[in-house]
Amino acid sequence: MAPVLVLWLAMSLSGTWAVDKGNFKTCDQSAFCKRQRALKPGDSPYRALLETMELTNTRLTLQLINDNNKVRLLLELYRLQGNMTRVKINELKPLKPRFEVPDVLITEPSTEPLSLLSQDENGVVLSLGTESQRVIISARPFRLDIMEGPEVLMSLNSRGLLAFEHLRMRKDTSLLIHILAQWMISIFKEEEEKVDGMWEETFKSHSDSKPNGPSAISLDFSLPGVEHVYGIPEHADTLRLKTTDNGDPYRLYNLDVFQYELYNPMALYGAVPVMLAHKAQRTTGIFWLNAAETWVDISSNTAGKVCSSETPQTDVRWISESGIIDVFIMLGPTPKDVFSQYASLTGTQSFPPLAAVGYHQCRWNYNDQEDVASVDAGFDEHDIPYDYIWLDIEHTDGKRYFTWDSHKFASPKEMLQALEDKKRKMVAIVDPHIKVDSNYKIHNEIRNKGFYIKNKDGGDYEGWCWPGSAGYPDFTRPDMRAWWASMFAYDQYEGTAENLYTWNDMNEPSVFNGPEVTMHKDAVHGAWEHRDVHNLYGLYVQMATAEGQIQRSGGVERPFVLTRAFFAGSQRYGAVWTGDNAAEWDHLKVSIPMCLSLGLVGISFCGADVGGFFKSPSTELLVRWYQTGAYQPFFRAHAHLDTPRREPWLFGPENTALIRDVVRQRYTLLPYWYQQFYHAYRTGEPIMRPLWVEYPQDPATFALDDEFLIGKDLLVHPVTEEGARGVTAYLPGKDQVWFDVHTFQKHNGAQSLYIPVTMSSIPVFQRGGSIIPRKMRVRRSSSCMTHDPYTLYVALNLQRTAEGELYIDDGHTFNYEKKEFIHRRLSFAKNMLSSVNLATDAEFSTGSWIERIVILGASKPSKVTLKTADGQESQLEFDFDASMSVLTLRKPGVNAGLDWNVMLQ
Amino acid sequence: MHFHMIIVAVFWFGFVDSRKIRGISSSYKRFFRERKSFLCIDGSKIIPFEQVNDDYCDCEDGSDEPGTSACPQGRFYCTNLGFRPHYIPSSRVNDGICDCCDASDEYNSHAHCQNACWNLGQRERAYVEGQMRTLDEGLQLKQQLIEEGVLLWREKQAQLRELQQVAEDLQTKLEERRSRKQEADRLKEQTPRPPEAGDGRLFRGQNSTVTGTFKLLDSNKDGSITVDEVQAKVALVHDEERVLSEDEAVIKDTHGAPGVGEDPPLKVADREWEATNLKKVEEAYDTVNMEISDLREKLAIDYGPDWEFLFLNSQCYKLKVYEYTYTLCPFNQVTQQSTAGTEVSLGRWGMWEGPPKNQYGRMVYENGEPCWQGGSRSTTVTLTCGTETALRSVKEPSKCQYIMDFQTPVACQPVLKQRGIHSEL
Repeated sequence: MAPVLVLWLAMSLSGTWAVDKGNFKTCDQSAFCKRQRALKPGDSPYRALLETMELTNTRLTLQLINDNNKVRLLLELYRLQGNMTRVKINELKPLKPRFEVPDVLITEPSTEPLSLLSQDENGVVLSLGTESQRVIISARPFRLDIMEGPEVLMSLNSRGLLAFEHLRMRKDTSLLIHILAQWMISIFKEEEEKVDGMWEETFKSHSDSKPNGPSAISLDFSLPGVEHVYGIPEHADTLRLKTTDNGDPYRLYNLDVFQYELYNPMALYGAVPVMLAHKAQRTTGIFWLNAAETWVDISSNTAGKVCSSETPQTDVRWISESGIIDVFIMLGPTPKDVFSQYASLTGTQSFPPLAAVGYHQCRWNYNDQEDVASVDAGFDEHDIPYDYIWLDIEHTDGKRYFTWDSHKFASPKEMLQALEDKKRKMVAIVDPHIKVDSNYKIHNEIRNKGFYIKNKDGGDYEGWCWPGSAGYPDFTRPDMRAWWASMFAYDQYEGTAENLYTWNDMNEPSVFNGPEVTMHKDAVHGAWEHRDVHNLYGLYVQMATAEGQIQRSGGVERPFVLTRAFFAGSQRYGAVWTGDNAAEWDHLKVSIPMCLSLGLVGISFCGADVGGFFKSPSTELLVRWYQTGAYQPFFRAHAHLDTPRREPWLFGPENTALIRDVVRQRYTLLPYWYQQFYHAYRTGEPIMRPLWVEYPQDPATFALDDEFLIGKDLLVHPVTEEGARGVTAYLPGKDQVWFDVHTFQKHNGAQSLYIPVTMSSIPVFQRGGSIIPRKMRVRRSSSCMTHDPYTLYVALNLQRTAEGELYIDDGHTFNYEKKEFIHRRLSFAKNMLSSVNLATDAEFSTGSWIERIVILGASKPSKVTLKTADGQESQLEFDFDASMSVLTLRKPGVNAGLDWNVMLQ
Repeated sequence: MHFHMIIVAVFWFGFVDSRKIRGISSSYKRFFRERKSFLCIDGSKIIPFEQVNDDYCDCEDGSDEPGTSACPQGRFYCTNLGFRPHYIPSSRVNDGICDCCDASDEYNSHAHCQNACWNLGQRERAYVEGQMRTLDEGLQLKQQLIEEGVLLWREKQAQLRELQQVAEDLQTKLEERRSRKQEADRLKEQTPRPPEAGDGRLFRGQNSTVTGTFKLLDSNKDGSITVDEVQAKVALVHDEERVLSEDEAVIKDTHGAPGVGEDPPLKVADREWEATNLKKVEEAYDTVNMEISDLREKLAIDYGPDWEFLFLNSQCYKLKVYEYTYTLCPFNQVTQQSTAGTEVSLGRWGMWEGPPKNQYGRMVYENGEPCWQGGSRSTTVTLTCGTETALRSVKEPSKCQYIMDFQTPVACQPVLKQRGIHSEL
């Protein structure tokens, strides 16, 4: 949802559906950004004081001095395990401490030894241990170059844009001797403020008091040889980031943007300050650990040039409003190395309950229990599976979260039980704004405990949101989060049951009457200003909510929490969606790069509102959106309160059938999806991934964002054009083959393939060389399919081999952490398909068995022999389709958790 | 004892037989008679008979697995003795959820299903009986309402005729007044003398005529005529025809007046009086005409083949749902009133929109208060058979789109006594 109440007027006056850009700052309107951006590349005023260098086994420290104002900074440099370098820069003696982001790193990163290679008056060369990697610290001006062999991987401050606004006293407070002088100075100061906004800043009617004055930081990074950079979500933009020379930088500042516009660098609901840089030989990453408002400038010496003799280089510059410089340089060299490096810092995707990977039916709002029951029945009547039905804000008693409307949802436990009877679940929304109402228990407790964020004058901060006047709990406080978590206990949150999960919306936080529809930056979180912690707020809300769900089950059950706002590390707490999109074809298209960008920075569990939130989709758009959403990690249909109903069966039997078909495709693939989630949880690799991640040396893949891979084995090119008769998909891999999953037709890799489409088409290809498990008995919900047998799709490559995995656990508890699962490797080579245990220390039993094996690209055998673990052999019946070279083995019948092999002769 | 054993044996064989071909109805048994091989019902394939219901889908049409969940297109037959037999999708076999009331679909699952068919059957029978009673009663009531509707229709037609008569009369009078006024104006131009006193005969006569009609219509004596008043009076006229003729006589009487005198000069006050009276007659005429077009409009509405829905025309039905009170005035409008008191129109009478087989099953009210994202509120009213006329439920599934369930005997349709409940063994 979005702040309709506040902004609808603006929208209706302008008469368009675009965002009202005037509500959000440009760099020019954000004083620190304007100030910092005014600095142009050139000689840095910073000099490294080599005589101050201290080198221990794991840490180098060194003072930097700004020759213009003589303020000293302290540089810390660490070599981290897994091929990373951490650079921290803070004031040597700040007037008061500057904010350092807590709770994002999963642990203090492990360091590796640093050693001095050489030193003279111009600089220092340190060995970074492995692979002849060195860091060169130049003294005058200060710069850092990270080298490997003869190659410069990355340079810091090479363009001299390091800037560190030191904390200072207001000028008028240090000079109080003469009243006249004070008066003169105050006049002067006001002038200064008008130019710089250093001590006060106004935007529209909002004033930011800035009691700490200027505190911005900035640093530039040069990436030789790099022409492609990615990441820094969330922006409604292409996968490949654009240069920002002719416009605003990309902005990272969590904001509730009403009807956001596409293809521009405006900030959206979440922020992950991580950028990936890629060239054919190497992928690197920059993780700028700062939670304040941040802007990222990108320039390239080859941008816009067709042919250039220059060595390509991309230059990046980060600017943040407060805090310190704390940057993790992830040196790859492969994309997967970068994922693993970043995962070692901020953790991996939480492993969701299997049901959450199914289909979610949402709408603002399902009006009452009867409505919920009839929608639920509609799915059965039309034989469409789903796992979760969602309730938006109207289910509460007057937008008081943790409550139910006593008329419309008079017996929530009965409603939940009715869903449970069909093995289905529900999500109810819990937003972080709390209605100011002395008859509301949650409000009273938060107020009495002093848990609300304070305004600059020390009172409880109040803003306007759905319930009217609302307070905002200070989620940066561990005690507040613990209390919040305890509110999800079944005896606290009345009317709830095990199958009720949570949705955190509006957690940027959204404040309808605040500057840029969010919180005043001078609001106070204990020792820190909101300015310092803003981008962290949403992460904390989801963290505390997920913790509450874990606690209510005594630590047994996995949580499922959806969030709109996020930060680096949010992947540990659940799913995100791309917020309030619209029922437009371009919004469908942009859902792909938006989720791809999130995946690259660790947040795999991503989806967009199927159908589009605002406006009403045409039937064609709705069907196409289902087809796209079914192949994205988080698959939820959602709709605005003011739009007509759009449950899948409301568009005529033909379209119902199309939607049914694609939702069923999703469910047949749940074993594969689930295995991808397990893999993401283990490795931090994205589930939905750009092609270049798997084909890093193929430049044709570098900018593709109209198609993507799920894991490494499924390639999806959704139809996102109105009236499309065909799509052109790029199938990567010179020695690769790809099989159309619907027709089993084989295509060669490294080609652009035109695929004619009809309304029922969703072009999906399985990579030759892979084995994908499916469950073909699609039932009402994923839980109903738990004991069902598997069909294995074995797609042979040119070497006539294939590999795959099969992961099985109970689907909902944390017992997988106690090694209660089955993880098997399936491999096909030399005409034999075998299943071997990948986790011999794990134990789990399943009733599921192998129902069918479909081998794509096979030749006809004369006989097929199954051999089970106990050595018994039996012949399998089979069917061979010569036209498509598809061999189907009938009913091996072996338990999916056991060793077996099948021999083709 | 022996006898019992035989019974058990008979039961046992029956059981085995039905298990062999689990999930089919008796009419399908013929497809499963062959014991050596099985021909998929679509004729596409022959498979060994052991592969029927062996939990692997061999036939494209799913016909080899009527008793398992193996075929995506398959279906399972719930015999449901004591209740109604029906098919469920194969995907609901052994999914841990009881679908067949005889529990036959969960023969190999963790679900603990009880045979609930007998109870369901009882309930269903009671329900159907209740429905039948409602239907019988409703149809009787409907018959009465049809008879009343016919009478009402005639009455309304008569009312229309009366109103048309009044209109005709008023028109005559209006013409006369107009010509008088023209005459007066002409005279004024020709002889701008002040009118003489005492020459009030004509004035009085005219007064008695126009004011007489006016007074007749202005029953509450507030100096203006309302539609209600005209309506009431027309009814009165209809009841007591004589009044009308007397009035007519008066009008006729005055009509002859100009010929009697010799263009007597009129006073200024008289002229003004003339103008005022003309205006009043015009107003009365307009009012009656409006009333006529209103009535015509109402009579142009389709009230069903026997005018059985006509009686709803002047009625309104209310229902409180949560914080709102909804009012349905059939063939007129739908409104919603909040507890705070603000009233919002949810649509004005639009049309019948039932499906072809039940044309009078649904009404649509359109063009209510506009919605903020464009469009306007509308209400769809579904009519169902009941023994009394009442609004049963109101829903707003999408913003500004309301759905009402309206019960009335006139919605009762004579149907064949159907739906045999499978109760035989």
